[in-house]
Amino acid sequence: MAATKDKISPFLDPGPCTKPNSLAILQLSRDNLLPVYLQVPSGEHDGYAEGAVVNTRFGSFPHSTMLGVPWGSQIRASKVDTGSRGRKRKREMTDDPGREGTGASGREPEDLAGAANGDSVVAVKQAVADSSGFIHILPPTPELWTTSLPHRTQVVYTPDYSYILHRIRARPGSVLIEAGAGSGSFTHASVRAVYNGYPTDGQPKGKVFSFEFHEQRYHKMKQEIADHGLEGIVQLTHRDVYNGGFLVDGKSPEADAVFLDLPAPWEALPHLSRRKPQTSRDTSDPTTEAGWVSPLNPQKSVYICTFSPCIEQVTRTVSAMRRLGWVDIDMVEVSNRKLHVSRERIGLNLSSDRGVNNSPRDVEEAIARLAEIESRFREHAGQPRRADDNRDSEEEEDQPAKKDDFGAKRDVNFAEDQSSSSTPPWMEGRLITRGEPEIKSHTSYLVFAVLPREWTEEDEAAAAAMYPCGMEQKVIGTVDKAARKQERREQLQQVQKGNRKARRKERDAKLAEVSG
Amino acid sequence: MHSTIRPNAWVALKLPSGITKVIQITPNTTISLGKYGSFPANLIIGRPYHLTFELQDKLPNENFSRLRVVPTSELYAEVFADEASPSCSTPAVGASDSIISIADGEEFSLVDDKGNVVARSNREVIDDSARQTLTQDEIEELKRDGSNAGKDVIAKLLLSHTALDQKTSFSLAKYKLLKTKKYIRRFQVLPIDVASFAQWQLEERDANKILDMRAEMIGLVGCWGNVHFAGEDVLLRDPNAAMDQGEEALLPVPQEPLRGRWLVVDDTCGLLVAAMAERMGVLYPEESEDAASGKTEGQNGESVDQAQQHPHRPKDSGEVANEVSKDNGDTEMVEADAVPSASKTDWKPKQKPRPSDFAIPYSQTNTITVLHGASQANLSLLNYWGFDITSPNHPPHPLLNHLMTLTWLQLLKPELDSSYSTPPPTASAETLASWKPSRRGNFHRKRRRFARIRHIVDTTRAGNFSGLVCASTMDPISILKHTLPLLAGGAPIAIYSPTVEPLAALADCFSVARRTAWLSGDVPEIADLSVEELERWPGNERFPLNPTLVQGTSIQTSRARHWQVLPGRTHPLMTERGGPDGFVFTGWRAKPAEGKVAAKGKFKRRKVGSEGTENSSMRAEVGVE
Repeated sequence: MAATKDKISPFLDPGPCTKPNSLAILQLSRDNLLPVYLQVPSGEHDGYAEGAVVNTRFGSFPHSTMLGVPWGSQIRASKVDTGSRGRKRKREMTDDPGREGTGASGREPEDLAGAANGDSVVAVKQAVADSSGFIHILPPTPELWTTSLPHRTQVVYTPDYSYILHRIRARPGSVLIEAGAGSGSFTHASVRAVYNGYPTDGQPKGKVFSFEFHEQRYHKMKQEIADHGLEGIVQLTHRDVYNGGFLVDGKSPEADAVFLDLPAPWEALPHLSRRKPQTSRDTSDPTTEAGWVSPLNPQKSVYICTFSPCIEQVTRTVSAMRRLGWVDIDMVEVSNRKLHVSRERIGLNLSSDRGVNNSPRDVEEAIARLAEIESRFREHAGQPRRADDNRDSEEEEDQPAKKDDFGAKRDVNFAEDQSSSSTPPWMEGRLITRGEPEIKSHTSYLVFAVLPREWTEEDEAAAAAMYPCGMEQKVIGTVDKAARKQERREQLQQVQKGNRKARRKERDAKLAEVSG
Repeated sequence: MHSTIRPNAWVALKLPSGITKVIQITPNTTISLGKYGSFPANLIIGRPYHLTFELQDKLPNENFSRLRVVPTSELYAEVFADEASPSCSTPAVGASDSIISIADGEEFSLVDDKGNVVARSNREVIDDSARQTLTQDEIEELKRDGSNAGKDVIAKLLLSHTALDQKTSFSLAKYKLLKTKKYIRRFQVLPIDVASFAQWQLEERDANKILDMRAEMIGLVGCWGNVHFAGEDVLLRDPNAAMDQGEEALLPVPQEPLRGRWLVVDDTCGLLVAAMAERMGVLYPEESEDAASGKTEGQNGESVDQAQQHPHRPKDSGEVANEVSKDNGDTEMVEADAVPSASKTDWKPKQKPRPSDFAIPYSQTNTITVLHGASQANLSLLNYWGFDITSPNHPPHPLLNHLMTLTWLQLLKPELDSSYSTPPPTASAETLASWKPSRRGNFHRKRRRFARIRHIVDTTRAGNFSGLVCASTMDPISILKHTLPLLAGGAPIAIYSPTVEPLAALADCFSVARRTAWLSGDVPEIADLSVEELERWPGNERFPLNPTLVQGTSIQTSRARHWQVLPGRTHPLMTERGGPDGFVFTGWRAKPAEGKVAAKGKFKRRKVGSEGTENSSMRAEVGVE
């Protein structure tokens, strides 16, 4: 099942077709996704003659029908014998020598041959397409994985992680620290963001350093990273970062960005400093100032995001950040809404489909109906009254006729409407959008901040020597009106002077200045 | 991205008033911040980003202000004072020297007679301006000879406010913040990356220009479009076509389907392309001259090695081309066009031979293909990252090899496009030699242009794109009609729109009822079409798009609400940007199975003998989705 190291993760390059031993996401219905590791059928598997089979309420799907097909393919369900498998198992449990009996009970002869051959691969039963039922097979992406992954903890969903990764500048080549790997949804999204190739011979590449405190979660996550071919670009460490810090094998990851999904980020923050923090929790720490290594990239500003559900956590986190020198502290809360698109079908003469509201569409339609009822009533009232004694029976006769009449009229109307416009039912009514029935109104508070790189007296002296000032020629930025006018005048003169080629040259030179 | 401010870099200067100024830092100039003063640009060049600088008073023997880095302990001094005071009641009156406060020992009646703190009601708060005893002239006077980076002005203003003692602690804090914003002479330098640039463009420039695309939306579109680095560059070999060879010498479109290419429709003047390029790692030039960083030096050396391993590479991405230009400069490049390639190699033996006219400079993977409606793609905002799409002799930039543009006409009716259909000029070596340099230059330019357009159009039409990302003013239905056939199976689709209506209309094309009707076999016009023909379904009124080609359609919107976090005063901001909300349509390109496919499920029928349409739509609701 595990992906070999030389293979690129299906998350980063799934290739054109589905591959064996690789992750695929089965889309059963719109929001019902199922992650599956496709296997080459090699003989009977779990009682199925077709090899491994995925059973859903939309039918059974042997892996063999899903291998080597282009991504996005619609897969038909197959006729799979699910019934006798269960029976066979039960029987096996109860009495062992009843084997021949199961074979005779309903399995086809070719199966029996396969079972006899044992190790032969050819023995797999060819899947037979079913008359109904289908699914789609999709390449894994962090978004699909996030909606389909096995939950171990609260998941960081796409609306949050997409915003976070954008704000903490996770780009190809960045090194990212993630603490609290949890269910791994953020891990997958962030490794896609920082990926710029697998590291070969010590060349620095984008990488995610992930930390997980919980041992069982760590082992599951470790397995997942291997299965998804992310080894080498995700480094998972089992550690309590509050006490242990963020160094890996004693070395600094040199992180450019940090994401903390921890209950107490302020406990971990002192480790994410440029220098050994003064207010470290345990002053008896044997490591001295000189021996302390910062896990951050010393050359760059480091971006951080913490993810906490409670406002009290935010207050403490922000307070700790201020004391540790983080700037541009910004707290936001992302609210995401999904919208459902449907057609609102209201009207008296629409078909009586499900979802149609058979009430008047507008005032005119209401008036027309009321007037019709009124006229009919008058018609009825205008008829000469008969004797009292036979009135009841008369009405009994009359009522059904009236109903029929009305019904017939409506049908005529409906038919007319249908024939005149011939609008198919899926184009009837007004297009509307409405929110989903339940919204995630609060996920977590996100605290963003930046830690500028350290700037010492020596650095400043070096920079001052490299870029001495006192030779200023002109003013840029906010300039007064007179200066702006003068500049514009000069510009216009220049444009008149030079020809097109000269201008182009000038522009290129300017571009070169910017990039060079 | 550079770690320090480079000369001529575009940066954002954040002023105390909250205003951001985006300027290009030209060396040896004076940067003016308006009322906050001015300083020499050289004082920030070479310094790191995100530091807060304070303009110091001019030294007696200098005619410019020097800068001081403000330590964070000073930036947050007031908050710390707040946190230190147990009741958190008097934000302004606190402790250390770094806080702007009125002279020590001054007492304020924020406490009542018994010494208890009162949080005053608004009833007693009187209009601010009425209570300031300093006149405008006096304030101006203070500002002129104001020293200590404006802190003196603020302290004096506070002192001369007669009703200061009537203010609640909150309004006092607010008053001080207001005055600080106005007078403190500080600023911060931020790098121009997609996030900060988009925010500036949205909030302080023309939001319309980028279709009101907020950071949340840029993030969502990028993620749902699955835009990411797609592998090392793959470059085609140089065909080395002779000058008298025409079309026939062109490189054929690679047989093997290309991967890692994204199709873009961008009406945000290039912001969307910039965001995607950032995600794919092709927006920022290599940090080649950052000598201070050992890490980057290593990378640079690596790239040179790579180039030597692949001598056949016509023009390498960014890093190698960078070197070339350093050798001979841009002006020489311009002239070099006119020089026949043979003599060129002698002239500069150190340099690799110049690629022939028909060499394709574009990478075959990790590329962005922009479809545009005008004759030129409008990607003007890429200028902020040093890329100008209109420049013919562009200095090295990674986007040069990874960004391709073509018009809708070239995509759909290439034969009508003259730059695609006109065959390239040919000439024998002798005739070529007899021409004037300018004519020769033109000749080569035309041939190069032809080869590139041919390559772009042909590879785009070959399809197999890894994703489609849109932020366009055009109708998304018409965009998908022509781009769906170009997408590989399972390719994600992410379409941004400032308003929901166009996306709702698009989602309706894939409604369950429509798809069910399409699959029911009751559509006579599709009865005899093959799978390929169905993929290229031209659309009609009832079925604008083939509803089976997209799966998992969804529309969403996101909004980030900003909060103020201060001790005892944490709450969401009172005002935020309104305007278009912004919506994202997402889905995946599906490959429908051949023939009729029925859904599975238990179909309850409400009424016996209902019509076929009802039956089928119910089926779909239960069975398909």
